Amino acid sequence: MRKYWRAYQISIQETLQRRSSLLMDRVGGLAVMLSLYYFWKTLLSGRPSFLGYSYSQMLTYILGMNILRSFALTGRGWELVGEISSGKISSYLVRPLNYHGYALSLDLSKKTIHLFAALIEVGALIFFFHPPFYLPQSILSALAFLAALVLASLLFFFLEFLVSSLAFWTSESGGPLFFFELCVQFAAGAFFPLDVLPRLIQKGLSFSPFPYLVFLPINIYLGRVGEGQIFRDLWMAGLWTAIFAAVSLAVWRKGLASYSAEGG
Amino acid sequence: MNAIEVELLAKEYQVFERKPGLWGSIVSVFWREWKNVRAVDAISFGIQEGELVGFLGANGAGKTTTLKMLSGLLTPSSGSVRVLGFHPWKREREFQRQISLVMGQRTQLWWEIPAQETFRLNQAIYGLSEKEYSQSLGELVEMLDLKDCLSVPVKKLSLGQRMRAELAAALLHRPKILLLDEPTLGLDVVMQKKVREFILDYNRKWKASILLTSHNMDDLAALCQRVLMLEKGKIIYDGSLEQLVRRYAENKVIRMVFEERVSPVQIAALGARLDSLGTSALISVPRSEVSKKAALFLSSFPIVDLTIEEASVDEIVRTIFSRA
Repeated sequence: MRKYWRAYQISIQETLQRRSSLLMDRVGGLAVMLSLYYFWKTLLSGRPSFLGYSYSQMLTYILGMNILRSFALTGRGWELVGEISSGKISSYLVRPLNYHGYALSLDLSKKTIHLFAALIEVGALIFFFHPPFYLPQSILSALAFLAALVLASLLFFFLEFLVSSLAFWTSESGGPLFFFELCVQFAAGAFFPLDVLPRLIQKGLSFSPFPYLVFLPINIYLGRVGEGQIFRDLWMAGLWTAIFAAVSLAVWRKGLASYSAEGG
Repeated sequence: MNAIEVELLAKEYQVFERKPGLWGSIVSVFWREWKNVRAVDAISFGIQEGELVGFLGANGAGKTTTLKMLSGLLTPSSGSVRVLGFHPWKREREFQRQISLVMGQRTQLWWEIPAQETFRLNQAIYGLSEKEYSQSLGELVEMLDLKDCLSVPVKKLSLGQRMRAELAAALLHRPKILLLDEPTLGLDVVMQKKVREFILDYNRKWKASILLTSHNMDDLAALCQRVLMLEKGKIIYDGSLEQLVRRYAENKVIRMVFEERVSPVQIAALGARLDSLGTSALISVPRSEVSKKAALFLSSFPIVDLTIEEASVDEIVRTIFSRA
């Protein structure tokens, strides 16, 4: 375990060292949060509720999105793609190290930093604008939210790992990840609650792992998921995570087998 | 028992052939023709414990591919490879704890933070106790003269400092097998010498088997008792460097120093090159004609000194490569 803990620490140091890219990342996220915040605030003004969301629930959804994005939807897919296509990954493969574990440690370090930044941003927004902020109504929602958050992070890790592993086969490699990132934001509910979408699309998405990344955790937090349903949803999130863990491991092994680092 | 045992080892790659021009690019989006390339072609050799062996060959001869198979990065297409009794491609932990691969143009060091952080990470990865770590690091810092580089972010280090830090990171766990791909690439002459001395020291001190590839003849001449020469994936020579030179050096060099200035025209007529002062000259002649030519010069010019030398290794290898 010590090696993964070390990797986590060293990666925190490195991320903090790259202050300007961290700042750019945060400014981008903040801009998305503020524009959505004002968009929904204007849209909801004068209405008691919208699509079953109360005013405070909707604004809390927007703030929660920033936290979920920063924790669950943050990863190092581009770094992995870069390491595979440049061959840098070789230097890990010759060392006694489980690359999945190593990547997860680095992922967690990035998530930690971004989570802290997001909490500060949301805190500042609440402090300055005093939006009505919705707090969980029961301990169960709060605990289930935390569980959903952990599962969402793991699920995203394996999904992103899977897509990034395609770089073993496509020499241009960035394409699949770019497409994935675009889809995932939309399908996970990281721009708007999925209830906004037509019923048919909602139905379709409910058979995919994406809503478990952002939409479901926030809805659990907001107390919009019934008690019985919470456990079914968490179970499904766990199942999706297990499925994608297995698939991403299998694809990774296949990728490694065909890995032919460049040069001869 | 040999530390490395390779038998009829081969590696084939598939590469796609693109037709030239814009139309070729468009066609290649939909249709690609794949071609098999045999990067390593049924090679066999053994390397003993403590042996320092150089890999020699033009670009694309199969040197790096072989190193990658020895380190477990690539799975062989056929043949067998055993390193310390392990099959490298299985990537067993016990095997990985005993080897190290250093690629000159790639770094394992974390770029933004000081090298000692990477060392700490490697300590954890290889499971070194605090005592083992500080002892090993102390030695490496001393041998590689790294004291001032430890707490500087890697990106601020010079190429030479970075290469030395790279070596330290790779050797903290004292591997028994060290695979070096172009360890002196891009370094200045002084730094090349330092790195070479270190490799030799490490080899002697820990009886490590070292296999290195290099385009730098000085590396091979200074380090390797034995060289393996590869051409198009096959081993075309396995033996000492001196013997290689003797076998392939078709010419020898005659150097002459004259008592006084001599006529450039007369010297040129005999095929020699005169220096700018006009008092010394050299000529490259086929081995069989050396004595005849030397006698001719001695009788024709007022010579005070005449030496007959082997052509430089660099020159010979260049000849072999260009022929390949």
